[in-house]
Amino acid sequence: MTAGATLASPLGLPRSFHRLGRTARGVAGVLILLVAWQVSVPLVGLSSYFYPSPADVFRAFVDLVRKGILPVYLADSMGRYAIGLFAGATLGIVFGVLIGMHRRIALALSPLLKFLFAIVEVAWIPIFVVWFGYGIETIVLALIYIVFFPVLYNTLLGVRTAPQILVNAVRSLGASRLAVLRLVILPSALPGIITGLRLGAGFAFRGLVFAEMVAAKTGIGYLIFDGAQSHDTARTIVGMIVMGFLWLAIDQFYLRPIERATIQRWGLTVEAEDRK
Amino acid sequence: MTPGNVATNASRAATAWSIRPRHPDAVMLGTLPFLLLIAAWWLLPHAMQYPAYKLPPIDTVVDYAWEAIQDGSLLRDIATSLGRLAIGFAIGMALAVPLGLAIALNRYVADVFRPVLSFLQAIAGIAWVPLTIIWFGMGNGSVIFVIANTIFFSSLYNTVIGVQSIPLALHRAVRSHGGRGLALFTNLILPGAMVQILLGVRTSVAYGWRALVASEMIAGSNGLGYMTMEAVQWQRTEKIILGMIVIGILWVVMDRAIFTPIERRTVARWGLLQR
Repeated sequence: MTAGATLASPLGLPRSFHRLGRTARGVAGVLILLVAWQVSVPLVGLSSYFYPSPADVFRAFVDLVRKGILPVYLADSMGRYAIGLFAGATLGIVFGVLIGMHRRIALALSPLLKFLFAIVEVAWIPIFVVWFGYGIETIVLALIYIVFFPVLYNTLLGVRTAPQILVNAVRSLGASRLAVLRLVILPSALPGIITGLRLGAGFAFRGLVFAEMVAAKTGIGYLIFDGAQSHDTARTIVGMIVMGFLWLAIDQFYLRPIERATIQRWGLTVEAEDRK
Repeated sequence: MTPGNVATNASRAATAWSIRPRHPDAVMLGTLPFLLLIAAWWLLPHAMQYPAYKLPPIDTVVDYAWEAIQDGSLLRDIATSLGRLAIGFAIGMALAVPLGLAIALNRYVADVFRPVLSFLQAIAGIAWVPLTIIWFGMGNGSVIFVIANTIFFSSLYNTVIGVQSIPLALHRAVRSHGGRGLALFTNLILPGAMVQILLGVRTSVAYGWRALVASEMIAGSNGLGYMTMEAVQWQRTEKIILGMIVIGILWVVMDRAIFTPIERRTVARWGLLQR
């Protein structure tokens, strides 16, 4: 019961035993939740519009897959996400390097950028809708706005903490400014860039779902929103569950490997903590 | 991540943005982009033709701001939104801290809850809005649920990290002096975890603030988010722009007046002592 139990490594028992117990307890937690949900449905006695059962949700899922709706929505969402992420990260890196290497640009831009950062991306969505209408432009712009700031900030951190000794060394060997950028600044900023990208990807995923609720006619966010609008609540929950697995998959199969391949290789383990 | 690391991160963060605040040109250079933006906004209607609803002239926005301040509607919306944020924050923290402590202190609790919670964390926040509209209707219930849900997962994470980052040496010290059970909890675990919990408040509220604005846009019947989204239908773009500026200013004020002092005092009081 004490914290020592979590801090000290389990002694005496083979590791596989603990791992098995751990997985079993995790599965038990999920099962308890599902069973409690299913059992509570007749007890609560509300219509499936208010409180659909897991069985309803599963039927809605099969239906959405069979009609081919879910694959199309998934592809649309991921397309928007990829474009927004790529464009936002590119802008963030370019500005991060510019601001990090030029003192006057930093002085000029940082108050404005701080203020723009304070106007959270969700607050831009209404005016994007006025300017660009409901559709992909609004969604992608919102994603770019979200990804830009964490990437910019962490790139800046990486550029500013690039070892001056190396910059001097490379310069004294006659390297141009561009060569310094390529040989010293970018490699040492890379872990920061990746950290920023990972943070931004997390924020952007949520932003994607919200933007799709407001400004799209396809996609996972729209599925969640439209299910409730058309009194098909089971669809909303299918959308939420798909969203959850989608994020876990993106994190597991894309973001973590990238982080492993870059940050850990450079030996600079910057914690991907949830702050910008 | 140890509390000491948080302190170094904070100081690193400070070096990232501010390069010698007393630079002679800092104010001049810093205000320049704002002035350019305002000038461009002011000149644009003269330079090219576009409908006023796309970008109203500055004086329309200023007039509207004055009107909204005078009739009290702006202050009402601000008060509503901040009130929801406060209630959502209180609920989220009240649920997250005890559960976080339980997860950090007991392996069985941790094992049972972890998969469920990490899944729910992946869908935390705004994705719940359509469902909460069905459950609670438009308005306070839905918005507060989403804020509390968002803040819950953020502070849960911070609480668990907070307990786990208490140095083992301190554990041994307290326990070798006979501290256990409740005494261990009140003397070590709670104050030790408090560092990270307090440092996490800013992040949590930042998430909650986004969730607030977003959920008011969909599920609100008043508040700042509702004010901006509702204006889209009536093409009252000056209302949208005023809302955005207010949202930006409010966050800067909250950050300066509440979170930065909390962060500084926490680091000063506990952060460095932990090393």
